[in-house]
Amino acid sequence: MTAKPDAIVESGAAPLGVSARPPRSLIRAFWPIAVTAAMLALVPLRLGDSRYLMGLAVDALVFGAYAIAFNVIFGSTNQLFLCVGALAGVGGYTSAILSDRAGLPMVAGMLLATALATALGGLLSWVAVRRSLDVIFTGIVTLAFSLSFASLLLGQRNLTGGETGLLVSAGVGTFLQDRVAAYYLFLGMLVAFLVVFRVLQRSHIGWAFRALRDNELSAELAGIDVARYRVYAGLIGSAMLGITGAVFAHSDGFISPSTFDFGHVDVRVLVMLAFGGLGTLLGPVVGTVVFAVMDEILIDFGQLRTILYGLLIIALFLGFKRGAVPAVADFLRPLARRARSWVRRPL
Amino acid sequence: MKASILDGIVLGLQFGLLGVGMTLVYGLGGVLNLAYGQIAVLAAMVVAITLTAGAPTLVAAGAGLLAGAATSVVLDRTLMRPVYRQRGERRVLLGLLLTLGVAFVIDGLLTWRYPTGTLRLGIGGEPVPVLGIGMRVGSLWATGVSLAVAALLLLFRATTPGRAAHAVIQDEVGARLVGINPAAVRTLIFAASGTLAALVAETRSMTSPVTVTAGFDFTILALIVAVVGGLGNVAGAFLAGVLLGIVSTLSAFYIGQYITTIVLLAAAALTILLRPRGLLGRSP
Repeated sequence: MTAKPDAIVESGAAPLGVSARPPRSLIRAFWPIAVTAAMLALVPLRLGDSRYLMGLAVDALVFGAYAIAFNVIFGSTNQLFLCVGALAGVGGYTSAILSDRAGLPMVAGMLLATALATALGGLLSWVAVRRSLDVIFTGIVTLAFSLSFASLLLGQRNLTGGETGLLVSAGVGTFLQDRVAAYYLFLGMLVAFLVVFRVLQRSHIGWAFRALRDNELSAELAGIDVARYRVYAGLIGSAMLGITGAVFAHSDGFISPSTFDFGHVDVRVLVMLAFGGLGTLLGPVVGTVVFAVMDEILIDFGQLRTILYGLLIIALFLGFKRGAVPAVADFLRPLARRARSWVRRPL
Repeated sequence: MKASILDGIVLGLQFGLLGVGMTLVYGLGGVLNLAYGQIAVLAAMVVAITLTAGAPTLVAAGAGLLAGAATSVVLDRTLMRPVYRQRGERRVLLGLLLTLGVAFVIDGLLTWRYPTGTLRLGIGGEPVPVLGIGMRVGSLWATGVSLAVAALLLLFRATTPGRAAHAVIQDEVGARLVGINPAAVRTLIFAASGTLAALVAETRSMTSPVTVTAGFDFTILALIVAVVGGLGNVAGAFLAGVLLGIVSTLSAFYIGQYITTIVLLAAAALTILLRPRGLLGRSP
């Protein structure tokens, strides 16, 4: 009889979602990204004529980028960052103010804004790690940061335009304002983020991420510097959020507190990711596409959408906790195996 | 200055009760009820509807308290069951996410059915001088009710169910060993928490209107107060509520409204970073 080490198992954070190892072969690791990119690249061919629909498609890609960033931070290292919108907002507002008020070139403003968002996100992560905050306290601290940022936007009226928002003029007349061009730009960013995610997964960093997510204590005992890898994830994810927010501000030409609002961004990203599957490569993309389509279908229902969101959150976390992508993969795997063995059957 | 401090105490007592309702449920099983503010608003809307139906104020207020308690108990008896089967961090996270879902459902239902719903328990009369400051009658009523409920909470501590609840908060396994049923205690505490949420919504509406969209604000306030007081610490939550009430009226008066929000949030964040066990917390 072996004694069950249940004390350790129970005190460790059993992860929601999955932390599977990525495939070893290069082709098998990257073909899903290539297929996703190809499929999403076809969207403007169908929607290209309608400025309205292309705008929605661009918004969807922006949320997809947010979701990948959140997947790096929460999905990989279990840090509940409830400031996805706020960090993107830091990127958006900083780059808008730097280029429109301070007269910096647009790209320089974007880079500085991204650097600021990265630094802030890294700082939050570092503080959480240093004070060894658990998931709930990390959530509350980052939520406090989120809401403070929103109040600051409302309060600093002469800099941010307060509730009425801010017109961003630096991007006017460039290709950023063309919806189809913007779509491909954001698609490029999304694919780049996916590649970063995959490369991370395959490197020693991804190995450490999986170890610390499965069981923090055993990871520490195995000699993994848990603190350092958490901060890495915080920095990388925040950089993704910052640059997405900055580019979005210039391409949309208008930002307001509600663009980066907690209820608008964070909750949606959480639900999207939970639906697609926390910690999976394509989970964020699947969640993005499904929710973009669902939003368009439910557009006339107004408040009912909020109710449906709530019911969906409850169902998702009660029912298949690991998300849609892993559930479907589990369902398909035996079928695929059977098909393969059938093909290889000796005649 | 004196007027601000008095107003702060009036507000702070309500903050305190709000925080107590949140912190009790957390202390019991590690669930941070994010639907707390929505339960308060739901109760407020029940009061508003029964009032327009022609019921006397006291009956309507009672109906509100009942609605808060009932919603909370239903939540405990249904969705919280699977949460309590989990342990440790996983329980905390699942509780957080499920109650967030419930918050959305209640919020959506209320704003869909009553988009302009507002509760105002107007209590008329001339301002009454207190320490040389004219206080509104509504504020005095709110304070009286809050103090009475705080006293009731103190008395509850001395009763058998109160001691059972305290035992479960201290050590769930130990409480089970001496014959306490944690599930029954939890239902009782959820009911108390829902009643407190409803009560604060009602006292709040005596001084300023409670709108249908106020749910999220109530939740955040309760969260801040509970964190500053130390999660799970009832006396701490009450003290934190009074202190934060005074701080918030003073800073709203001298600096401005948006800074006040930031000050309150910063208080919560700093408490977590410097004194994670809250104002009254002893080091482990």
